[in-house]
Amino acid sequence: MIAAIGLVLGIVAGLFLEPTVPTWLQPYLPIAVVAALDAVFGGLRALLDGIFDDRVFVVSFIANVLVAALIVYLGDQLGVGTQLSTGVVVVLGIRIFSNAAAIRRQLFRA
Amino acid sequence: MLLLRNLVEDSLDEGYARAASRREEGAPRSRANVWVLTGGLLLVGLLLTTAFVQTRDRAGSAQEARDALVAEIEDRGDANDRAQRQLDRLRAAVQRDQRNALELTGTGAALSDLLVTLEAVTGAAPVTGPGMTVRLEEAADEDGADVDPRTDETDDGRVTDRDLQTVVNEVWAAGAEAVAVNGQRLTSLSAIRSAGDAVLVDFRPLNPPYVVEAVGDPDTLRPAFVGGFGGSYLQVLQGYGITYAVEDADRLELPASAGVRLRYAAAPEPSPTDERDDKK
Repeated sequence: MIAAIGLVLGIVAGLFLEPTVPTWLQPYLPIAVVAALDAVFGGLRALLDGIFDDRVFVVSFIANVLVAALIVYLGDQLGVGTQLSTGVVVVLGIRIFSNAAAIRRQLFRA
Repeated sequence: MLLLRNLVEDSLDEGYARAASRREEGAPRSRANVWVLTGGLLLVGLLLTTAFVQTRDRAGSAQEARDALVAEIEDRGDANDRAQRQLDRLRAAVQRDQRNALELTGTGAALSDLLVTLEAVTGAAPVTGPGMTVRLEEAADEDGADVDPRTDETDDGRVTDRDLQTVVNEVWAAGAEAVAVNGQRLTSLSAIRSAGDAVLVDFRPLNPPYVVEAVGDPDTLRPAFVGGFGGSYLQVLQGYGITYAVEDADRLELPASAGVRLRYAAAPEPSPTDERDDKK
């Protein structure tokens, strides 16, 4: 319950404070969003599987975002930033999809 | 393939399974974990909404910039029109004053009459009178006009600057005293040109249909134009799908040309050597 309040607080803070993302961070925002979504769907699936763990969720979320951003940053420095972001989005996208499919199977038994 | 299969089958983070097995081994759950999760979810919400707000704002600002530019273009256009109207008013006032001043003396009155005639001929003053109109309408796009192999198919049935030049020249040749194209008065210095697909008269773009208005002797103007090269040129244009209409007009009002400027010739400053020559 308290955790859900955290989510709502985050959303409200984002909506009302409208934090401006510095220009140098902006290229990494989409990647960070995809990584965050991956962590969220992973956590949801774990929750339904009954093996959810707070620490694993938070660590995987932060690590996902940071690693995804780091990969893209490295790619940018090496001139393959666009290709690497595509790669990150594809890999995380596949994970999101299969996790969402697992959640669907859990919820609807179908 | 192994990579892809791994990706699809092991989509759940391994960490969850390990944490679960650790718990079965009897590791205790700490109360602090709830706050960790709360903080994590707060970050998730903040990140997602920030991305959302950012994207929405960016789309909004692009639209705003576009609207601002459009508004500025309209503002400047209006200001331009206002300035042009003011110029017309002032020019009319100057002409009136000039005439009044000239008519105070006998020679001035003669000059004034000459000025009126010259202003009508040169396009410096608006004129009214009988005459004719030549209307050129471009072929509709879907119209299957004859294909000129020298031009693009898309340019078929389009009135070019050359067409207008020819028509206007033939109108002058037929005895017109004053000519305007789509309300743009022509002077001896007017240019009919094109920029891209647009026809420009004195650097102002015109929109089709093109209407050439000519003031002249109503008895001879139209017969001379239609019977001369102008008439046959229009028939050639008709072959490309351009429709035309030549009509007599009882009363045409042609505006003054906006491009009339006074040009002065000035003698160069006499140099000291010239002055010495004069004294000798």
